[in-house]
Amino acid sequence: MTIDVALFAYLSVYQPDGQGGRQSRPLEIAQGTTVAGVIAQLALPDAPRVVFVNGRHAADEYTLSAGDRLAIFPPVAGG
Amino acid sequence: MEPARHDEPVASHDDAGVRERLAASHVALIGCGGLGSNAASMLVRSGVGTLTLIDFDVIVESNLNRQLFFRDQLGRAKTDALAETLLRINPDVTLRLHQTCASPDNVVELVAGADVVIEAVDCAETKAMIVTVLLRERPDVPVVSASGIAGFDSANTIVTERIAYGLYLSGDMESDVADNLPLLASRVAVAAAHQAHAAIRILLGYEEP
Repeated sequence: MTIDVALFAYLSVYQPDGQGGRQSRPLEIAQGTTVAGVIAQLALPDAPRVVFVNGRHAADEYTLSAGDRLAIFPPVAGG
Repeated sequence: MEPARHDEPVASHDDAGVRERLAASHVALIGCGGLGSNAASMLVRSGVGTLTLIDFDVIVESNLNRQLFFRDQLGRAKTDALAETLLRINPDVTLRLHQTCASPDNVVELVAGADVVIEAVDCAETKAMIVTVLLRERPDVPVVSASGIAGFDSANTIVTERIAYGLYLSGDMESDVADNLPLLASRVAVAAAHQAHAAIRILLGYEEP
């Protein structure tokens, strides 16, 4: 099935098409894949992140459905 | 010019509705460093009636290059020293002080009653924790987070966006203190102003794009 994935900031280089940029693009995943599964599939670094599905916070255990829009934002330090 | 009386908003305008709305509003700031101390002063000057100030730390010399503290406050709790400064701006502001570190166990309680939360901590892990816990537990309370405020890039690259329901983000998203970029008073203050302004806009019912 296909979901839409947006990777913000320095994570954008992990988009499979290698194009960078924060705009979302389609990703093929297996039925029953969780947020954590997508993070593993994209080989995202183990760094602080905030995850949204369809614009609302979602846990790593959330099971994705076809057409979901997954967005991952990694905060950086400084305050 | 006559000095403003403290029963008048410091930022003058003639819209009584705006003034009343802000005076009845409560903003919680998690972190009272470069972002939080400067944002707090702007919120008080704009007439926000209640602030909750949360920070575990005490003032050290290296804070003075960007944070709204003074040499004669070195060694004092940031929450106490900032409260003193804010009360000099508006003696009528209501302040709630918590000299503690935000954690997953206490953050919801710390910001209780706030209409908007400003996340203004230093560390990326804590930023992610605060945003995650608050969006999960209190999705009704907007959070204005900051990410990407360091270094010498143009101040124009700092923007505010709504990146999800209830989450506003101020910063350039990229410039990381972990990459040894400095925190400059000018650029940090731009981000602090973005956060304060986003909070005010939310309180007044505006939506960020």
